Amino acid sequence: MSRVIVIGAGLAGLVAANRLADGGAEVLLLSKGIGGLQLGQGTVDVLGYNPQRVTNPIKAVAEVAAEHPYATIGAQGVLTALGYLKELVPDLLVGDPEANYHLPTAVGALRPTCLAQPSMLAGNLKAGSSVVVVGLRRLKDFQPELIAGNLGRTELPDGGRVAARAINVDIAAREGEIDSSGLAFAHAFDVPAFRQQFADLLAPLLKDGEIVALPAVIGLKDRQAHSDLAAKLGHPVFEIPLPPPSVAGLRLNQALNARALAAGVRMVSGVRTVGFAADGDRILNVRNATVPAEREYRADAFVLATGGFEAGALAMDSYGTVTETLFGLPLVGTENTPLIHGDYWGAEQPIFSVGVGVDSQMRVLGNGKPVYANLRAVGDVIAGSTRWAEKSGDGVAAASAVLAADSILKEL
Amino acid sequence: MRKLAVDVVVIGGGSTGAGVVRDVAMRGYSTVLLERADLGQGTTGRFHGLLHSGGRYVVSDPLSATECAQENAILSRIQAGAVEMTGGYFVTGPDDDPSFADKFLAGAAATGVPAQEITVAEALRNEPRLNRGIKRAIEVLDGTVDGWQLVWGAANSARHYGAQILTYHQVTKIDTVDGHVAAVHCKDLKNGEDVLIETGFVLNCAGPWAGQIAAMAGAHPVDVIPGRGIMVAMSHRLVNRVVNRCIYPADGDILVPVHTVSIIGTTDVKVDDPDHLEIEQAEVQQMFDAGEVLVPGFRKARALHAWAGARPLIKDNRVAATDTRHMSRGMAVIDHTTRDGLDGMLTIGGGKLTTYRLMAEHIVDAMCDKLGEKRVCRTAEEDMPVEGAGPNYVVTHRLHDREHDRLDDQIICECELMSRKMFTDALAEQPKGTFDDLRRQLRLGMGPCQGGFCSMRATGIALASEHIDIERATELLRLFLKNRWIGLWPILHGDQLRQTALDNWIFSGTLDIEHLPAAESEVVL
Repeated sequence: MSRVIVIGAGLAGLVAANRLADGGAEVLLLSKGIGGLQLGQGTVDVLGYNPQRVTNPIKAVAEVAAEHPYATIGAQGVLTALGYLKELVPDLLVGDPEANYHLPTAVGALRPTCLAQPSMLAGNLKAGSSVVVVGLRRLKDFQPELIAGNLGRTELPDGGRVAARAINVDIAAREGEIDSSGLAFAHAFDVPAFRQQFADLLAPLLKDGEIVALPAVIGLKDRQAHSDLAAKLGHPVFEIPLPPPSVAGLRLNQALNARALAAGVRMVSGVRTVGFAADGDRILNVRNATVPAEREYRADAFVLATGGFEAGALAMDSYGTVTETLFGLPLVGTENTPLIHGDYWGAEQPIFSVGVGVDSQMRVLGNGKPVYANLRAVGDVIAGSTRWAEKSGDGVAAASAVLAADSILKEL
Repeated sequence: MRKLAVDVVVIGGGSTGAGVVRDVAMRGYSTVLLERADLGQGTTGRFHGLLHSGGRYVVSDPLSATECAQENAILSRIQAGAVEMTGGYFVTGPDDDPSFADKFLAGAAATGVPAQEITVAEALRNEPRLNRGIKRAIEVLDGTVDGWQLVWGAANSARHYGAQILTYHQVTKIDTVDGHVAAVHCKDLKNGEDVLIETGFVLNCAGPWAGQIAAMAGAHPVDVIPGRGIMVAMSHRLVNRVVNRCIYPADGDILVPVHTVSIIGTTDVKVDDPDHLEIEQAEVQQMFDAGEVLVPGFRKARALHAWAGARPLIKDNRVAATDTRHMSRGMAVIDHTTRDGLDGMLTIGGGKLTTYRLMAEHIVDAMCDKLGEKRVCRTAEEDMPVEGAGPNYVVTHRLHDREHDRLDDQIICECELMSRKMFTDALAEQPKGTFDDLRRQLRLGMGPCQGGFCSMRATGIALASEHIDIERATELLRLFLKNRWIGLWPILHGDQLRQTALDNWIFSGTLDIEHLPAAESEVVL
C-alpha cells in the first residue's frame, strides 16, 4: 500500500485524507493545530457573491474568471466534491448545489451558502416571517439586538421583509460563570436537562408563529439537540454561527475527523511541519518540529493543505516579501501591487489572493510545469480566489482536495 | 441658536488648550474650551508617549532641554496618574559616534538635565533586548505619559474651576468690533446647532490648525508649518525604559514603552495640510531599520498599528522652511495687537507635550498683561489625581483591576481587558460618542486583534443600551473598522498580517458585514 502524507487538518486536508483512505492509500495526516474549520461558519460555501448575490452556485462556478481556482476545478469537480462531502457527514450537511441558502449572520446580514447544517435551515427566511432573536446574557458573541435590528431592515433576496425582535434569556452554562464561551454553552446544551431548563425559561417569552433564532451553540456532540429543543419549544428554531471558537465549525471538524479515523487515517497533530527533503522533482520526506529532535516522515505523495495567511502557510515579512512557508513554492498574485491598500471598504486586498498556482491535478506549478511531481496543493493555499468576500473557500477546499486525492490514487 | 458669554474662549482641545483653559479658570476667569473633535484627537493623541527628561535637546536646543527637565519634575508630581516614570537611556549604537556622548553629558550639565553615564553591562542587564553592540549608555529621567489621561486631567480640573469644555464644537467665525475680538461662532457638530459665544478674549491653541483660526479673526497669516511624524506601536514592551539613540536628534531614534506596547518614533516631514497625514511606506521602513539598531530582531516583532501626528511648529526665518526638525521647538506666543492691530487674541505655537503646562502659563500671563491684571499662575501647585491604577505599569495590573468583578462583569475586549460595565458607563456619559471616542478612554480595540473580536460585541451592547438606533450602531461599527484600518495597513506584515487574515475571516467570511443594509438617511457620526 502506498503512503500519502496530508499536511493540514482544515476542510481541505480532512476531505483529502478521507478520500485517499477510501481509495486505499495509507494516509498520514500531519497538523499543527486542530485545523481551520472552527474559525468558520460551519457550512459549505461554494460561491456566494460574484460580486452580485449568487442564487445558483454551480452555474456561477462555470462563469468565473480564468485566474480563479474554479476555472481549473470546473463545475463538475465541485459537484463531485459536494456529493462526497454529503456522504462523509450525512446528518450534518444538507443542501442543493444548484441553490444557495441565505442565512442570517451574527450581525444580521443574510449570508449566501450552499450546504448547511440542518439546525440552520429555518433561517432561510420567507417574506412575512416573524423572527425572535434570543440572546444568552452570558454569551457576548451573540448580540440579539444587533441581529434583529439589521434583519428587520434587510430586503430578502427574492424581495419582501421579515419582522424581527430581540430578547435575552439568562441561564448559566456553568454555575457562577458570567462570561462563557460558545463552547461552554454547547457542552451545556448537549445535556437534555439543560435544554429543558432553557425551554422552560424561553417558551413563555415566545409569540405564536415566531421563528426562534439562537446562537449556534445548541449542542456539540448530541445531533438531536436542535430538534429536541425545537420540539420542546413548539417553534421552528435555527442557529446562527458565531465568530471563533465556532461550535458549528467544530461539529464539522469532529465529524470529518471521526470519519477519517474510521477510514484508517493516522494523525499526528500539535507539531508544525517545518522542513522537507527532495530528490529532483520528487519530495522524499517532510520533517516535524518535534522536541528534542525533528522527526522525518517519508511518503510517496504529499498534499499541502496548510491554509492561507491566517494559518501561517503564507507569510509576508517586513520588507514585503511573500513566501509559502513550508516548501518555498513559487507564488502567483504577488505582482498585483500594492498588495495592501488603504481603502478598508474598497476592493479586496490583493495580498489575500496570493497563493500557489496549480494544474488540473492540483500539482503546484512553477514556470508552467509541476515543481514536484508528487506534491499537490489544496484549499486556501491556492491563489486566485477572494474566499471571504465571495464566500468560496469551502468549495475550493473540498473540490481541490477531491481532485488531488483522485489523481494521486490513479498514480499509486 | 445657543448663546453664551464668557471672559475667555480657548480654541483647541489638545494638551495646550486643556492646559490653558485650566490655567485661565484657576485664575478666576469664566471660560469655555472649543474643540472640533474629541479632546486629544489631534497632535496630542498622535505622539509617542514620551515625557521628556530634556536629554533629547541638551545639544540641539538647550532652552528646551531646561524647560523639559523642569516640567518633567512638575508633571510627574501633579499628574502622577497619567505618567509612568520609567527612566530612560541614551545609548550609542554600534555605528554611532561615541564622542557625541561627551557633548551630551556636557550639555546635560549646562542645562540642568539630570544624566549620568552607566556601564554598557548595566544597561544590558536592565534592558536585555538592547543591541549588545552598544558602546555607551547614559541614564536620564525620561518617562512615559498617556496623552489622553493628561488632557482629561487638565480638562476635569478646569471644569472643577467652572470652565465649560465643549467637544465636537467647530469654530466657524470670529467676530471683531473696532479691532477687538467680540464673539466666537461655532457649530455643535453632534446636533447641528449654532452656538454664539460673546467674549473679550480668544486664546488660539489650535496647534497645527492655529493658522486657520487666526485667519478667521482677520489676522495676517500665521505661518504654522505642520511637521508630520509617524510612529509605530509594537506589541509588548520590548524595553521597559525609554531608549534613545545618543546622537544628534534624527528620525526613528526613540523607543518608548507605553501601556502594553512600545512605540518607535519618529519622522519629521513638512506637510501642507494637518488634516491629511499620509503614512509613507519609506518612513515605515525607516522606523523598522531604526528599531533594528536599538533592538535586534525588531523587524520580526509584531507591529500593531501606525499613526501620524502634526507638530505645530511656528515658522522661524533662521532655518529653511522645509527643515522642520531644526525649527524652534520652543513655544512662541503671537501677539496680534502689535502684529495685526487686533486686540483680544493671542496665538500659541511650538512647544511639546512635556511643556504643555508651561506654555499655558506663558500665554495666560501674556493675556493678563494685556488686560492689565495681576493674577498669579498656580497650575504647578495643584495635583490632578487620576482614579484607578497607579502610575507604574506591571504586567498584572490590568488583571488586578478586573479581579474584583471578574465573576460579575464580562470582558468585552480581551486584549485590553475592557469590561462590559466600563463600556456601558462610558457610553452613558457620551451617548453621542463614536467608538473611537470610547476607544481613547477604554483602549477598546487597541490590542493585538485590533478590534477583530470586540467591535461586534461593542456594537451590540451599545445598541442594547438604547442610546443609539440600529442604523447608527451599524455605521459606528463600519466607521470603527475603517478607522482601525488607517493605522493597520501601512505596517501589515508578519503576525499582524496573520491576525488581519483572521479578522477578515470573521468580519467578511463569517459575518458578511459588507452586505449589511446601508442607512436610509445620512447618519451624523
